[in-house]
Amino acid sequence: MKNSASMLLLSITLTSLFAYPASAAVAEIELVIKDHLFFPATLEIPAGQKVRIRIINQDSTPEEFESYELNREKIIVGNGQAVIFIGPLEPGRYPFFGEFFPKTAQGVVIVK
Amino acid sequence: MFLNAVIIVLQEILEASLLISVLLVFTQLFHKIWGKSFSLKTSWVAYSIILGIIGAGLYSHYTPQVSEWFDYVGQEVVNASIHIGSLILLLILAFVVPSKKITGKLMTRSRLTTFCMTGVVLLAIIREGSEIMQYVGGIAGQSGNFTPIVFGGIIGAGIGLSIGVLLYYGLMSLSIKWAYRLGLILLMLIAGNMGSQAVLLLTQADWLPFTPIAWNTSALLAEDSILGHLLYALIGYEATPSILQLVCYLSGMIMIAISPLFRKVQPHNQSLAGTN
Repeated sequence: MKNSASMLLLSITLTSLFAYPASAAVAEIELVIKDHLFFPATLEIPAGQKVRIRIINQDSTPEEFESYELNREKIIVGNGQAVIFIGPLEPGRYPFFGEFFPKTAQGVVIVK
Repeated sequence: MFLNAVIIVLQEILEASLLISVLLVFTQLFHKIWGKSFSLKTSWVAYSIILGIIGAGLYSHYTPQVSEWFDYVGQEVVNASIHIGSLILLLILAFVVPSKKITGKLMTRSRLTTFCMTGVVLLAIIREGSEIMQYVGGIAGQSGNFTPIVFGGIIGAGIGLSIGVLLYYGLMSLSIKWAYRLGLILLMLIAGNMGSQAVLLLTQADWLPFTPIAWNTSALLAEDSILGHLLYALIGYEATPSILQLVCYLSGMIMIAISPLFRKVQPHNQSLAGTN
């Protein structure tokens, strides 16, 4: 009886794992753009894991999230938001910037 | 702000400008190789630019809505679709080009080729143009930004178009054989790049699985160097491409390499003598 119950539990767990791939397991971090600056300007993420970055642009102007090191590029419309997936990554520093306001909009992803 | 506007507009214009040059070179070469039997009207360039600018305006206008699609990865999905659509058009073009010396007229083939060229350039202008419009439209409105952005943009566009014109006349100054060979190499790289860019965007959107990077040449040639930017615009140079990107890049190149367009790499000299 106990055995069949644990089998049932296992099968439910497995089913749910396959029914909700990746997305359920991916950690999300928020990055805010305000006055052409990134908040927080330093994002720390664990090595070897995929992360969803939700970028919220509170400025009325568009901005382009860009990083050569992360190989990512995306326009975030004014007063809008966007999602970018990064990783899994090796430990290290991965700078990013806002291509439209590169003097101020600077940040870095630190992978530990 | 001024210099930034030059760079942003330049890199967007450059991709479309180089693509137009290569396809225009082929338009001219087809005429020289096949004469009237397989001849395209160069007016396709004008249509694709006009329609492209209209398309870019529409895409730019609806980007706020598009970017919310599919849980905020709509832009990646649409842009990847544009890349895939362009790649398909390029491949159709490469496969409908006549493969042997022909005698009769080939209206359907030349119409389809013209359609593909128009489509590829149209899609490139929609994608690149909408980014310029979002940048200029979103930022030039702010006080003090108008003059540097508009003038920077004009200069960036001017440089980008000039490089395209240089490439066109550079290729056209060569013999038919060499213009064809170099044009073909560029077209293979352009096709590969379209596949690779689609993969990159869909990976960014988490629609395709992550694959490790194939190599890292950032120390050798940084993407943010001048040569890096130029090679990015021309052949999609990336310092750290993923394995899946590399596979799709090579697949795009191979598809062109097995097409009739490629087999025409050594045109019969006899048949060229009269039209050269």
